[in-house]
Amino acid sequence: MFHQTPLKTFTVAAVIAALALYAILGGYFPREIVIEIALLAILAVSLDFVAGYGGMVSLCHGAIYGIGAYAFAGMTAIGGYDTVTATLVALAAAAAFGLFVGAVAANITGIFFIMATLAFGQMAYVVVFESRALGGDDGLSGIARYDLSAIGIDMNDSLQFALFCLAVVVIAYAAAAYVLRSTFGRTLSGIHSNEDRMRALGLTAWRHKAVAFSFSSMLAGAAGILAAQHTQFVSPELLVWTVSGEVLIVVILGGLGTLAGPIAGAALLVLLKHKIGAYTEHWHLVIGLFLVAAVMAGGRGVYGQIEYWLRQRAGRRADA
Amino acid sequence: MVADVDFWLTQFLNGLQLSMLLFLLSIGLTIIFGLMHFVNLAHGALYMVGAYAGVSAAAALGNFWAALLIAPIAVMLVGIFLYAAIIRHMRRAGPMNQVLVTFGLIFVIVDLVRIVWGDIALGMAQPAILSGPAEFLGVVYPAYRLFIIAVGLIVMAALSLVLSRTQIGAMVRAGVENDAMAACLGINVERLFFAVFCVGCALAGLAGAIAAPVFSATPSMATDILIPTLIVVVIGGLGSLRGAIAGSLIVGFIQTFGAVVMPEFASVLVYVLLAAVLIVKPAGLLPARS
Amino acid sequence: MLDVRDICKNFGGLRVSRDISMHLERGERRVVLGPNGAGKTTLFNLLAGTLKPTSGEILLDGARITNLNVEQRARLGLSRSYQKNNLFEGLTVRENLALAAATGEGKTSSFFSRAHESRSVRETVEEVAEMVGLADRLDTGVAHASYGNRRQLEVGLALATKPKLLLMDEPTSGVGPGMIDAFHRLIASLPREITIVIVEHDLDLGFDVADRISVLNYGEVVFEGTPDETKGSDVVREIYLGDWQGDA
Repeated sequence: MFHQTPLKTFTVAAVIAALALYAILGGYFPREIVIEIALLAILAVSLDFVAGYGGMVSLCHGAIYGIGAYAFAGMTAIGGYDTVTATLVALAAAAAFGLFVGAVAANITGIFFIMATLAFGQMAYVVVFESRALGGDDGLSGIARYDLSAIGIDMNDSLQFALFCLAVVVIAYAAAAYVLRSTFGRTLSGIHSNEDRMRALGLTAWRHKAVAFSFSSMLAGAAGILAAQHTQFVSPELLVWTVSGEVLIVVILGGLGTLAGPIAGAALLVLLKHKIGAYTEHWHLVIGLFLVAAVMAGGRGVYGQIEYWLRQRAGRRADA
Repeated sequence: MVADVDFWLTQFLNGLQLSMLLFLLSIGLTIIFGLMHFVNLAHGALYMVGAYAGVSAAAALGNFWAALLIAPIAVMLVGIFLYAAIIRHMRRAGPMNQVLVTFGLIFVIVDLVRIVWGDIALGMAQPAILSGPAEFLGVVYPAYRLFIIAVGLIVMAALSLVLSRTQIGAMVRAGVENDAMAACLGINVERLFFAVFCVGCALAGLAGAIAAPVFSATPSMATDILIPTLIVVVIGGLGSLRGAIAGSLIVGFIQTFGAVVMPEFASVLVYVLLAAVLIVKPAGLLPARS
Repeated sequence: MLDVRDICKNFGGLRVSRDISMHLERGERRVVLGPNGAGKTTLFNLLAGTLKPTSGEILLDGARITNLNVEQRARLGLSRSYQKNNLFEGLTVRENLALAAATGEGKTSSFFSRAHESRSVRETVEEVAEMVGLADRLDTGVAHASYGNRRQLEVGLALATKPKLLLMDEPTSGVGPGMIDAFHRLIASLPREITIVIVEHDLDLGFDVADRISVLNYGEVVFEGTPDETKGSDVVREIYLGDWQGDA
């Protein structure tokens, strides 16, 4: 069950503030890193929503991210629609795909659920890859960015774009946290804890899971919309299952089922990647060892481990 | 018309050859999975190690057959190391953690291979005796590819015999069916798992080594082969030899014939099949447990 | 209230339930007894909806529920407890009951409200906690609760949906001898407007709380009557031979 604890608030605020500072003080390259972290953080929050609070570990969040990006790209670059319409269509497309996958896979459990989401994600990848209308493996370019000049924001400025992405991370986190505390979210935690019992109490669990998956997909779609605007280019690579795998790693490193942890996890992974990448091209080796160590150490993730220590200390104090 | 028949027969052999490689990989994965509910995503990485070990052994010894013997042993040793260092401790950790640990291992193994062997594709010479074309049912087909099919069929037959006729086979079947019961019957499940794990690793190494002369050894083979292998295992049904055979044939033939008949959507067909099986028969087509 | 008409359940060639019929009045407490292997669990699952009968009909307040699944039956006011505690681990007693109460009210899907903290849910939680004797344990984590408390919560979860019909699967299973009487009293003190079916192998529970008792053997109802008639029944005595001779 989700509680917006002070530790969560502090962690999110601290990570976002540090990244904002990094973007403001750094040059072009740090801002690119901040944008990369922000996109991954939104995806990680969306995955943690279903995986950590609904027990649905998805390997198709990369594909949903790509669907959001492609829908936005297609609407602006091919359809010539304005960015607001494109945003709504992209969010709807991601949510609809998520609703479909969630509904079909809702009764599949464990490793089989992961395989099912992999299958649907890869199907989307192949369809996009083979679709001539969407540019096939060449991708699409000429994508518009939001025009926020009316409120004094220049989205073509790398710093302002980076800060805008960070703002979306906060919005995504707040939306997920809000829903998790709502009637819907509490019911979802009930399913995660004991689906059988929830059904015996009268809940149509598969429908609830499908809606949860759809909401999470909408958040992933939002990350896709930003990704399309960031490079103003989309390619099928966005949809490959390894993207989903990377998001899953972020969630695990940060702390599955903590919502705040995955944001820290995204920052950690991307910074590790670039810092290690500066010395050696074999940064995957380090990330891999890190992942193995994190899971073997109990699988709580960095944030989850801190939360666990604090709770144990609080428990000891209460006993004493 | 004759040309047509030849064409389809060639495709049939291509499909069979792919199926056999998938079988060599999926059988180890599925039995480990079925016996101990252990999800080893690093199985594809072991296949890659097998290919590189084969390439190096063949280059060093100048003998293909020696390489074919050394590669499985080398991969088995890697497997034993992984077992002792990691897998043994993750036995009771639940499928999610196993997926994640072995997912991490893929990164580690792939990067280690890139450090040792570099990023370029490494070829491996076919043995002289198998390097030419051969005739099969009137079709001219590379002899080496027929050899791959033969190896697959031999392993398939040998495993069938071992599983159905020997005491070890009976123990494995009992373990897959009900490991708690098997343990009660005095079977040392832990040792059995270790033995099966070693055989699974060796077969992955063998698959890598015999694939190297055709596809070359590349770092990307670890993940390229992983997904089709997992699909075979899930479609066929966990822990089941018959399931692995059926799954390999289905996936191998769908990929091969799909690429010929509807090249644009060949790769999507397998995923459609996977999704359909998961929805209609979540336990797979031929599950080991009824 | 509950009408079971000639239901049969076959597993392959095995006939596990044979032409079972029973009729319950509103507010009745029915205990279904029977030795191990008599088909009690199968009957329970047929009533709860986890199994579908091979033939026959089940009616709740005159409406056919034979082909409805578990959640549909629950929404019609049929609630169940489990033989093995089936709780929301990791949550407190209060949070457990709140989940059940909100779900019972049909409040599950709103993104914008907090039904689990609403007044009606809080009232239900307190009311049910009082009924099952957990009023002073509301903030205990379920994982740290004693077995007896967990057993009480198991019943509480089933009650928190405010059911018309409560199915209980061996409610005293695993409860120690020191607690059994208290448990019988707890069940006997449940509100009279709830119709209750209890599947149980312990005869004493039947004698303590039942209005009527049905006895199953080899998948058939071999006896039905009041507790006193049950004590005097030769058929029942034969099935349970020796089991309660000392007590009776």
